[in-house]
Amino acid sequence: MADATDIPQHALERMKGLRGEGHAGGVFTSDFSVNEFLLVRKAGFEPVGLCVGSCIYHLGIQYGAWSKNQEMDVLSQAMYQARELAMARMREEAADMGADGVVGVRLTVKRLEWDEHVLEFVAIGTGVVHAKGHTTFKGPKGQPFTSDLSGQDFWTLLHAGYRPLEMVMGSCVYHVAHRGMMKSMGSVGQNVELTNFSQALYDAREIAMERMQQEAADAGAEGVVGVDLHEGSHNWQPHIIEFFAVGTAVLPISTELDASTIPDPQLVLSVNS
Amino acid sequence: MSWLSRLLGGSTPPADRETAQAAKAASQARMTAWEQALAAGRLPDFVEKRLEDASAGRTPWISTMTPAELLLARTHGLRPLATVTGTCWYQYQRSWTEGHAAGWGSALARIRAEAVACGANAVVDVKMRTSPGGLGASMDFTLIGTAVRILGLPPSPEPVIATVPALEFVRLLEMGIVPVGLAVGARYEWISDASKTMGGSWTMNNQALGQLGRFWERVRRQAHADLKRDAARQGNGVLAHTQFGQIIKQEVDKAPDRYLGRHIVIGTVVDTRAGSSIPHSITTVVDMRDELSPLDGGATKSHNAYDSNETEGAI
Repeated sequence: MADATDIPQHALERMKGLRGEGHAGGVFTSDFSVNEFLLVRKAGFEPVGLCVGSCIYHLGIQYGAWSKNQEMDVLSQAMYQARELAMARMREEAADMGADGVVGVRLTVKRLEWDEHVLEFVAIGTGVVHAKGHTTFKGPKGQPFTSDLSGQDFWTLLHAGYRPLEMVMGSCVYHVAHRGMMKSMGSVGQNVELTNFSQALYDAREIAMERMQQEAADAGAEGVVGVDLHEGSHNWQPHIIEFFAVGTAVLPISTELDASTIPDPQLVLSVNS
Repeated sequence: MSWLSRLLGGSTPPADRETAQAAKAASQARMTAWEQALAAGRLPDFVEKRLEDASAGRTPWISTMTPAELLLARTHGLRPLATVTGTCWYQYQRSWTEGHAAGWGSALARIRAEAVACGANAVVDVKMRTSPGGLGASMDFTLIGTAVRILGLPPSPEPVIATVPALEFVRLLEMGIVPVGLAVGARYEWISDASKTMGGSWTMNNQALGQLGRFWERVRRQAHADLKRDAARQGNGVLAHTQFGQIIKQEVDKAPDRYLGRHIVIGTVVDTRAGSSIPHSITTVVDMRDELSPLDGGATKSHNAYDSNETEGAI
């Protein structure tokens, strides 16, 4: 965690006023919907404030060999490091406001119009604290936990007997080889698998997943829930694509709940749709 | 060393050079392993190891399940094992329709191979994906899902591949309905318009275009008949169809116009006894989930076969 003096004065003042408890007249800020707020409270947590981390990052330059499937390690590192910086800054803000964790984290990437190599990464979520002061909900190394789960999913996860530890991710930017003239000519008019492309996509997804799994293992997680594999080209050259795996690493709450103690959900029909 | 000095041929420190060479060799070894594995119809050793480790609990399980699905999975004896994928980039220059059926077929065989490698009984929440930027007449056919084990069952040699999410999978099982796999029906046909009357350009009146309509109906019906045949090999019903159809006019110089009709339909095959009762009562509720609620109607993305998930501003 960074020294509190790293945080600008106006941000410190904002955070001081956030928690009603101990700061009479303090207010919390959040981007919770009404239902999310109710369910986070039902789960035994209170919001303390919106946590934001951002990073504007210049991507290094790397060229893929025309006819080679290969990871673009400069870009992979950049995409990972920039997201990690944004997340770390958000976590730092959460820690400074005394939050036990951050729920509903949204991690976005935007290209800035003046330079194709500059990307803006933003992580934003709501810091929450356990209403009765339990400290066992913190993430790895006593840091606030982070999770991209909504307030509703947070309630459900706790009821399933798990708690969130950390938002884990793995990135792999990959150059998919161009096919040679002779190879292309050889398959004109045919229905045939283009194996070099299959291999490239398979390998890139596999690398992204391996990295995310490694992060989860390092955090001491039992599993990762809500995993999604995103693909994006961020306006790079054709044939360069990023595979990004992201999910929430989870751990059973103290001792694992026996499955029979979890109430069986009922079939329902919504009347407010 | 900066990229500029590398470009200008500057010298690289020996340690950096060795690291770079090692990384290059490792990357090449992975490529060779993929090439050999795909040619032999198996998985590379490092993928098998990842899946075996996840299955044995040596590494964290990875699941596309939501917390609600995880909750239900636990109460119903399902254990998530790993996220599994099947990918095939297929060129369909000879036939779009057959190419799409073959592409999805290969992806299905590969996701099943990954499920077998982790000792799964089923793969749930299987989503059909394509990468952005298909090249010419070729496309990425990818299936992604979560391999699960049903407690008390030994690993299955032929795991069930279900496009339904874990929530629906468990509900179906409870009601005696077993999702057993995917069925594909695909057809295409050309029709020649020698008399140039099919398109209706000869009349100013309202007019049903019978010949073209019948042609298109025939293509669709044949695709559905193919789907039924494919499903009959596996179970006795199909749910959750994805359909994609196109009719295209081709004008040819000094020759009659031609129309191409093509239709592909993909669904989840189930095995169920006719007339089985539903053992649950249904309660009416006020739903507290926001826009995403599956109770508010709207199809899930699980069956959205021909969209990539790339969106502006998304991660």
